[in-house]
Amino acid sequence: MPGRKIRTRIDCVLLALLLVPASSWAQQANSGDEAAITQLVQQIKQLQQQDHDLQERIKILEAKQAPAPSVPAADPGLPSPSPQTAEQTPSPAPPEAAPAPSPAPREWHDVRGIQWRGFGEVNYQVLNQRKPELGTGGFIPGSAGNFYTDDFGLFLTSRLTDKASVLSEIIFEEGDAQSYSLNLRRMLLKYDYNDHLKFSFGRYQTNIGYYNWAFRSAAWLQTTADRPLVMQYASDGGLLPTQAVGVSVTGTIPSGKLGLHYIAEYGSSDTIRPDINGDGLLNDENNGNQINLGLFLRPDTVPGLQIGGSYYHDKISNFIQGPSLRYGQGIVNGYVVYVAHGIEFLNEGFLIRYAALHFSDVVFNTPAFYSQISKRIVHIRPFFRYQYINASPNNSIYNDVGLRLGPSFGARYDLNDYIAFTAQLDHTVRRGEPDLNGLQLQWAFTF
Amino acid sequence: MGARSTATLLLLGLTLLCSARDAEDQDRDVAVVVNTGNPIKNVSLGDLRRIFVGTKHLWPGGQAIKLVTRGPGCSERMALLKLMAMSEIEYKQYWTAQVFRGEADAEPFTVPSVGMQKEALNLFPGAITLVKMTEVKPGMKVLRVEGLLPGEAGYPLR
Repeated sequence: MPGRKIRTRIDCVLLALLLVPASSWAQQANSGDEAAITQLVQQIKQLQQQDHDLQERIKILEAKQAPAPSVPAADPGLPSPSPQTAEQTPSPAPPEAAPAPSPAPREWHDVRGIQWRGFGEVNYQVLNQRKPELGTGGFIPGSAGNFYTDDFGLFLTSRLTDKASVLSEIIFEEGDAQSYSLNLRRMLLKYDYNDHLKFSFGRYQTNIGYYNWAFRSAAWLQTTADRPLVMQYASDGGLLPTQAVGVSVTGTIPSGKLGLHYIAEYGSSDTIRPDINGDGLLNDENNGNQINLGLFLRPDTVPGLQIGGSYYHDKISNFIQGPSLRYGQGIVNGYVVYVAHGIEFLNEGFLIRYAALHFSDVVFNTPAFYSQISKRIVHIRPFFRYQYINASPNNSIYNDVGLRLGPSFGARYDLNDYIAFTAQLDHTVRRGEPDLNGLQLQWAFTF
Repeated sequence: MGARSTATLLLLGLTLLCSARDAEDQDRDVAVVVNTGNPIKNVSLGDLRRIFVGTKHLWPGGQAIKLVTRGPGCSERMALLKLMAMSEIEYKQYWTAQVFRGEADAEPFTVPSVGMQKEALNLFPGAITLVKMTEVKPGMKVLRVEGLLPGEAGYPLR
């Protein structure tokens, strides 16, 4: 009996399976009007699609014939599609009847215009002391809380040929008393022979570490309101030589799924860094010619992972002890970075080594690192950063730095694709000085 | 109705259901499409990612790669974001950063329809774009990804 019951149930299921499509078929077959309507709707959709395609074709052909604009929009190589209007009428010819597309004219593919973009920031910072921690962006000694604008930048690029282009980054940097100095932070003639060999001649930002490469000048690019101290621009009191004039060569190394890249730079630095303890002193390092060699890999197996390192060498003077005393400057950097799926996990370590070249065998080693993690949750990106620098008390080059360590945390909120608001709290432990607490509020934007 | 015939019918029904599901899945496949003059036939997933994140700029023959993408919301864009392991916001920020870094001239050209994708492919010999398999048109050259064409089992882009 149970066997018969099971068989009956199976038969019912089968019957249902067969009846469902059969009934729908019967409905379709019986309602002739419905089928006709469906067919008409499909025809209308096809006509609408053809109309849409034709309008796009007209736009492209019109743009092809138009002269190249002197200041193009987001992509100068292509027309910016204008909104469709009711007055636009499609060409009577079907798409197939239109003339065969010719190769792109030069004006279309590579416009010889100048693209420009800009970025800026407005900050409000409060410290629990009345002097600035850095020689940074207009924070005026004498008040614990202050508005300042730091960097306002204009970024210009122009493509000269298929392989050559020009890039410049012009920064208006706020100083004391709301004065602004002009800084040509980057000015490069770039020549990309192929993906393995790309040259840049001019003033470049040294590729020491990941942060310098990834974030450049614009605060809008950063998750945090400021750069880690070790990665600050030298003109703001940062420890690394961030700029040089010379040649930079980068490219990929054929390495399959390993995704190996190299960096080689040779140029002249002339770093002048202000003391970061607010004493107003400027240290002119009178650098020689620097060389920087680096390797990094981006394995295919873990998209978003980048592991790399670099070695930088130069000869500098000790400002306090006079220009005749030269030091060999060696900077070793290593980093592991993961940026994907909304996660940003940055880890970089440095060893900055100064070795006296004459009269002495003094060596100063300054270790530094920072670690930063953040996760995007829709428009908000909460972050946490910990940084550490330990300069010897006897190191007269970094006598203003000493030991500094501590956490920063906060969140960045993206209002839209162009404006971000960041709030950040800092706590810094300093050797021989009281702990420093700070709050920074920042509007960063790009345009 | 015998037990054997019942079981056969059931198996047939299940097979039909599964194949319908497979066909539905395959319809979601997104093809990698290039200009018909491009000699390349196959691209690895790693190279495809490098192309669309803008770190690979040239085809093997030396032709400059021109990225053409669809706007937010469509399945091609979703496949692109999945390939790049990014959200829409991160994608936009990434390209702004690439321009500021000097790694790219501009963000990839975004077009609103497959018709315009076809136009762009014809205009730019080095163009590459993603097109939903069901919307691939004559005059588009579909590349294999890891040796697979869209619709084939194991095709990675959808």
